[in-house]
Amino acid sequence: MSDQNPIDPRQEQAGASDESLLAAHEKLLGKKPEDGAHYKLLPLALLFVFSGLIFYAGTYLNHYSGHYDASIFNENAHPSNAAAETVKIDPMVLGKKNFELVCATCHQVTGLGVPGVYPPLAGSEWVNGSEERVIRIVIYGLKGDVKVEGTNYNAAAMPVIGKVTGSGYNWSDEKIAAVLTYVRASFGNKAPAITAEKVAEIHAKEGDRKEWSQEELLKIH
Amino acid sequence: MTTAPSAATPAEVTEIDASARCSLLLLLGSALLWLVVSGALALVNLVQLHTPSFLADCPLLTFGRTQALQETTFIYGWAANAGLAVALWILARLGGSPLRSLNWVSAGTVFWNLALTLGLVGIATGDAMSNAWLHLPRYVLPMMLVAYGTIAVAGVLAWTGRRQQMTFASQWYAVAALFLFPWIFSAAQVMLVFTPERGVLQALVAGWFVQGAWTLWLAPLALASAYYLVPKVSGRAIPSYDFAALSFWTLLVVGAWTGGRHFIGGPIPAWVASIAGVSCALLLFHYIVVGINLRGAFSGGGSTVLKFVAFGLGAYVLGGFLDALTAIRGVALITQFTYFSTAQSQLALNGAYSMMMFGAIYFLVPRITGQAWASSALIRAHYLAAIIGTIGLVVALAMAGWVQGHDLNDPAVTFAAIATHTKTWLQIATAAQALLLLGNLLLLGHLLKSAASSYLAPANATFRQPPTMEASVS
Repeated sequence: MSDQNPIDPRQEQAGASDESLLAAHEKLLGKKPEDGAHYKLLPLALLFVFSGLIFYAGTYLNHYSGHYDASIFNENAHPSNAAAETVKIDPMVLGKKNFELVCATCHQVTGLGVPGVYPPLAGSEWVNGSEERVIRIVIYGLKGDVKVEGTNYNAAAMPVIGKVTGSGYNWSDEKIAAVLTYVRASFGNKAPAITAEKVAEIHAKEGDRKEWSQEELLKIH
Repeated sequence: MTTAPSAATPAEVTEIDASARCSLLLLLGSALLWLVVSGALALVNLVQLHTPSFLADCPLLTFGRTQALQETTFIYGWAANAGLAVALWILARLGGSPLRSLNWVSAGTVFWNLALTLGLVGIATGDAMSNAWLHLPRYVLPMMLVAYGTIAVAGVLAWTGRRQQMTFASQWYAVAALFLFPWIFSAAQVMLVFTPERGVLQALVAGWFVQGAWTLWLAPLALASAYYLVPKVSGRAIPSYDFAALSFWTLLVVGAWTGGRHFIGGPIPAWVASIAGVSCALLLFHYIVVGINLRGAFSGGGSTVLKFVAFGLGAYVLGGFLDALTAIRGVALITQFTYFSTAQSQLALNGAYSMMMFGAIYFLVPRITGQAWASSALIRAHYLAAIIGTIGLVVALAMAGWVQGHDLNDPAVTFAAIATHTKTWLQIATAAQALLLLGNLLLLGHLLKSAASSYLAPANATFRQPPTMEASVS
């Protein structure tokens, strides 16, 4: 029966004995590439694939590992670098760098904002006015209407920047102070610098709270 | 170093097969019995998904319990018994001598299945633990670990006592699975059941266990079977075999790190999910190599065994790519915590694992019993039921999950509306599960018949002396 029909599903025949299966594969392992220097394309392609995957893995982890910090749940968050804080940093340099990284997305590198959407920082009474008020805005954000230089803005909200629950940035008080110092001394603004201690003081006083509204701020200041 | 085939090439079926008959049939019979029980429970469970009133008055079979019961029966009943039987048989054949300590295997099988039965009663009566893949009540866990050890020791002896120094990929995977399961199973028992970790860590250990039980235990068992069957049946050596070892180690080293993918978007530290995501990507290398190595299964030339393996291989590689895809945060936003994850695990379990095991069962049972299978029509019917059922189940659940994921992300859609939107897909999944159950019933009946006739009738299977494999391929 098995002669007429070589593959009988009721009792499938083996194509090789176990001994020769072992021996044949053992022989394959020791094989050198044929023709001396001519490597086969498939192994090369596989090596490229593997290297590519490792490269991707490394790059991804570098960006989205949250510095392997057990308390960072947002893969985009970058915690402040504790080692760097011991070095004295020029707040204008740190401020400019972080302003261009984050704030300039809306307020533009020129500090002029986008008419009708993002309020300007240059010449703004909110920036150059009370330092406690502007600190409050940056740490906790601002929602709803805001009147700047006579124009009302409410198309966008100022996000939460400080180390507050729900913050997308988790900036340290020092970073916030540096950016405020930079903003208050650039774009034609000439307001005095803001210290990290002052930011920390406001942060401690307000604790963990939601975004401000214009009315709340005007009531305090 | 390569031993030339001795002058008298040994016959295809030897003492190795005959001596293992009782123990392996006990394992395989229990496995298929559990597979049918699991299929029936899964059917009840799926019906309850779209008709919640079904059996809702029966406290033993409420939705949560049927879910835990069908999963536990599948993993510890079907997958464990079948995987052990196939791994032991392959290790014995490649080791070149009959299995030792077979009485221990039989005793271990009895105790493993007794403990499992007790555990299932425990789950049905309210002692279930809340961990995925580890619902078994605490009082049966130590007994199962010991029973597993007594079964697996025969495989370890076959490995250490092998006739030849050289080894084959199939043996690596089988031995790795034998050794790794006790590790992950005992670690999970300690960290989840006896002295449970608290808070986030508990969820992480649970995810690691589910993933580890798949990538470090069930997947290697399935691959041990596939790596043996493809060259053995086709008679052709494995192409690009030099990469098999790298692929093996990639699975072992990277595999369990993908556990965090179950929590992407969940409340866990960001690095855990990031590592899981990149591990899924790295593991693609393993899946690509396995696909290249075993591509011979797709040109099996009419072999039913290889048809099962080919389907299993396709499901395995597809599953690997789906894991990597859904581990991308933007995709996980839709698929995570939906039926889509269920579809992925069904693709792995029913699609990859079961199919590769079926292939092995159809190949090995005639060799250990000496009886050819009773009917080729039954085999064909089982094959059709298995592939149509699996495809239907996986596609329907994936579609249900996709719809559910989009709906969940839209706050305007109510839960009741989501249930309505997914209902048709869940009904299709139920029909597919019924077909799977039918096919597996056929296989169980077929095996019982074959086992019975091996004791009643003289051997009727005739195996030709196999040719010698050439190493020149690829």
